[in-house]
Amino acid sequence: MTLKNKACIVGIGSTEFTRCSGRSEIHMAVDASLAACEDAGLDPEKIDGMVKFGTAGQVATEFTTEADVARCLNIPNLHYFAEAPWGGGACCATVMHAAMAVATGVAKYVLCFRSLKPASGTVRYGRPASIPIDAHWSYTMPFGFASPTSWVAMFTTRWMYETGATEEDLGTIALVCRENAVVNPRAIFYQRPMTMEDYFKSPMLCEPFRMHDTCLENDGAVAVIVTTPERARDLKQIPAHITGVAMATADDAYCMTAFYREKIGIPEMEWVGKDLFKMAEMTPKDVDVCQFYDAFTSLVPMQMEVLGFVEEGGGAAYVRGGDRIRPTGELPINTSGGMLSESYIHGMNMIAEAVRQIRGTAITQIPNVEVSMSTGGLGVPTSGLILTKG
Amino acid sequence: MALELNKYYLKYFYDPVAESFEEGFWNAVKQRRLVFQRCKECGEWLHPPRPMCHKCRTFDLEWVESTGKGKIYSYCVFTREVHPMFRVPFEVVLVEMDDEKVRFISNMLDTDPDELYIGMPVEVEFVDINDEWALPWFRKAKKKK
Repeated sequence: MTLKNKACIVGIGSTEFTRCSGRSEIHMAVDASLAACEDAGLDPEKIDGMVKFGTAGQVATEFTTEADVARCLNIPNLHYFAEAPWGGGACCATVMHAAMAVATGVAKYVLCFRSLKPASGTVRYGRPASIPIDAHWSYTMPFGFASPTSWVAMFTTRWMYETGATEEDLGTIALVCRENAVVNPRAIFYQRPMTMEDYFKSPMLCEPFRMHDTCLENDGAVAVIVTTPERARDLKQIPAHITGVAMATADDAYCMTAFYREKIGIPEMEWVGKDLFKMAEMTPKDVDVCQFYDAFTSLVPMQMEVLGFVEEGGGAAYVRGGDRIRPTGELPINTSGGMLSESYIHGMNMIAEAVRQIRGTAITQIPNVEVSMSTGGLGVPTSGLILTKG
Repeated sequence: MALELNKYYLKYFYDPVAESFEEGFWNAVKQRRLVFQRCKECGEWLHPPRPMCHKCRTFDLEWVESTGKGKIYSYCVFTREVHPMFRVPFEVVLVEMDDEKVRFISNMLDTDPDELYIGMPVEVEFVDINDEWALPWFRKAKKKK
């Protein structure tokens, strides 16, 4: 028994992405959810399952519950509701929950959503609103080791030391994402190009990361709808079949500060890759376009290594110069601009873009896409997704 | 460049919180001693502490005094403030201990960011925070005579 191609994404919806939404999280969540229903051609009342996000609970509170969304959309009752934890690590895991629910008949139409308001709300992800007080943080906080940027910087420094990756390699990721965002009217950085000189001039936040190595923090929401291929026939869109989906933890996980295991870095994604390609019965060579979770630039070449797109230590050399990962290259990445330059919705905007690549409706559309992939957040338990036309 | 223990640091500093199985670590820190957890059965080192040895799954654990010597395994340098408690610039180092199979997050004393490198020998030095608490920081290892 396999989950391969037993479910598909039939609707995607989004709010606009802004620096100041002027709206609450629940307001944006239902806006995106309604847009996903309209995109699918589905009456919202037919939604009978929902999957929302959680974080580790230490740096953020989640404000939007499935009950709130159901109340606004007048959904009479839900048969399935779940939460995938670990922030951005959860994005593809929400789709996995939904796929399992519809494939087993527990639910018929499952809505997965993420609404975030870090730009104008009370919870930011890039810095602590307060110093968290519990035992877990006592080994990091008193030493000022207090931001996701620094946690990823710590294992990036080691990765650069081991592989010979340069600051210019990191800058290349930022540049390629920006090039894709510049032509995307949804993107925060629409029509705002950047040069390598701009990259090097941007302020150093936490060495080796400059401002342009770190993702956006903006307001917005994205929702997707999952159902079975049979039900998808009665809906509007070309279904994006869930051909591979996986979630994974790794040894000695200690959320975002796992610096005690033998090899620091992103082993969670290595485990995701094994399950993902096994379920899809594919190898990385089969992937036509990939939305790599890019909360920080270094994570893109690091993922290429652990997922097997390149050999261990070969990620930086692969992205060097950027031509291989541009839309005309052999592995186009982050075609909407990613979270570095389109929008930071904890990876849900990347899933929406992966769906567009299957439908053939992306703004930077890669020709003849058969296999479209996206990945979840790093440094935490994470997830991954492979979509096809079925 | 050390983390500045200014009035904001002291204002926001809280007593490190410990679960029951971690008290040995923090009680030793209060006494200006760096200890790590080790399994009495199989000798596995555990840091941060765990209630159970993950190798042999016994609860028979002990606290062993560290020699305090290690090498920088990785590091980062804060140049943009994320909280008033932590005035920039300052370094955070991940130290791999020489004599205990653990790594430890800490800060550096009397070292410029430019001096840091992976593999740099360092040794622990306790820095007083208040009457009760000190934190184990590191400085460049003294050259052997």
